[in-house]
Amino acid sequence: MRLERIVVVGNGIAGLTASDSLRAAGFDGELTIVGDEHHSPYSRPALSKAALLDAEEMTSHQLPDSTHDARELLGRRALQLDPDLKTVVLDDGSILPFDGLVIASGSRARRLAGADPAARKHELTLRTLEDALELRRRIADRPSVVVVGGGTLGMEIASGCLAAGCEVTLASHHQPMVQQLGPHLSEVFLAAGLSHGLKFAPSRAIGLREAGGHPLVELADGSTLAADLVVSAIGDIPNTDWLADSGLLTGGRLEVDSRGRVRPNIVAAGDVAAFPTSRGITRIPLWTSAIEQSKAAALALLNGDDAPELSFSPYFWTEQFGLSLKASGFLPLEGAPELLEGGPDGGPALMRWSHADGSGTAVALNYRTPIPKLRRLANPAPALVESPA
Amino acid sequence: MEIILDRPRCEGHGLCEEVAPQLMHLDDEGELVLDVVHVNEDQLDAAKQAARVCPVAALRLA
Ligand SMILES: Cc1cc2nc3c(=O)[nH]c(=O)nc-3n(C[C@H](O)[C@H](O)[C@H](O)COP(=O)(O)OP(=O)(O)OC[C@H]3O[C@@H](n4cnc5c(N)ncnc54)[C@H](O)[C@@H]3O)c2cc1C
Ligand code: SF4
Repeated sequence: MRLERIVVVGNGIAGLTASDSLRAAGFDGELTIVGDEHHSPYSRPALSKAALLDAEEMTSHQLPDSTHDARELLGRRALQLDPDLKTVVLDDGSILPFDGLVIASGSRARRLAGADPAARKHELTLRTLEDALELRRRIADRPSVVVVGGGTLGMEIASGCLAAGCEVTLASHHQPMVQQLGPHLSEVFLAAGLSHGLKFAPSRAIGLREAGGHPLVELADGSTLAADLVVSAIGDIPNTDWLADSGLLTGGRLEVDSRGRVRPNIVAAGDVAAFPTSRGITRIPLWTSAIEQSKAAALALLNGDDAPELSFSPYFWTEQFGLSLKASGFLPLEGAPELLEGGPDGGPALMRWSHADGSGTAVALNYRTPIPKLRRLANPAPALVESPA
Repeated sequence: MEIILDRPRCEGHGLCEEVAPQLMHLDDEGELVLDVVHVNEDQLDAAKQAARVCPVAALRLA
């Protein structure tokens, strides 16, 4: 069936890439993008890196204007989807009919504080442009900061706050970055953080309350951490609420097939979607993952089974505490690496880990190398099989 | 239109190359090389897409 009307819900990089890809593949029908943020898409990865350090005005997150020529309904939220009637209901009561739908509603930040408004006002999270502007404004006065969460985002925020001159304590029951990168590199990152003046509280944060006008982070070991400001980075929650009664969720998750489809005329991509990988059906809430998923999903919406399956090779990067890491292949990494170039402990170094399933992961630490080369190091093309003469 | 690279900002992720290999590539040192600077009409969409996938907004069109 030829599609005439496609609706895209979500105006992040997934919604943008899907829209671009639909146009690039020749879709010239009516294209409508609904997004509850008031901005056109911007780079979220920049928000926790260069954008925290941009001197005067924040510009690192800006992306060039789009070319897909879609009708954009910004500042509007989709509230409900009826896959059989093929309609999306918006928060202003309007109803958008579609023949094809792209679900790209992303995810939002998990919070530590409960319902108590006194505690909530002390807790910042970092997901949106407004969050980043607020964080920049607050750290300009150099408050003492507790960052909750030892993942990539928590560590990048801690690094940015330290660079801004704040005193920073990071609370995490896992060693920082261990879940993302494994024990070997986790040591390297923690050491870099400590040498930059980071304080580490190795305990799980279980709550946040206000005492004397200041926030107090409650730790599982019974102690508390006082600070002027608390920034939590404790994971993201996929934005699937508006799909609750759509019948499309499986155990609360939005699962797609190997081409990004939930139904023949409904695809999903980006942080909201769980997709089949060699490690099972899972979300991979990262920038390149959102881009690759969106390209595949757009083609599947137009061409069905004739579209190529998503072949995803994970790419991850982070910048913090003077370290710049790029990794191609699955993470985290167990055991010690094979050192291909450079020295151990903090680099510059080019490293490789081999996995039980035969695949590999290549990591460049403070080491400039073309990414295609990193990908080849991770998974060398299988040797050509000689054809019998 | 002209592609403008903010070199200090570029981190060599190469995502731009993946969408527009006809316009740019990373050299052996991981430095981005613009093979085409003045883009014609046919290359414009690719150039814009390249600029948009860059997570650090190191590419601009003017
Ligand atoms: C601070 C930060 C740093 C990051 N750094 C990195 C990094 O270094 N490397 C990396 O690979 N990844 C990084 N990521 C992750 C990466 O940014 C995300 O994977 C990517 O942005 C996901 O894009 P998306 O379009 O799927 O989701 P989103 O960007 O979340 O876009 C979804 C959009 O849909 C809107 N929306 C939600 N529900 C509705 C609704 N019902 N109706 C209408 N609109 C709706 C949302 O408001 C949002 O604008 C980072 C993320 C953050 C927050
Ligand atoms: S995507 Fe951006 S950072 Fe990466 S090589 Fe291209 S311009 Fe540089």
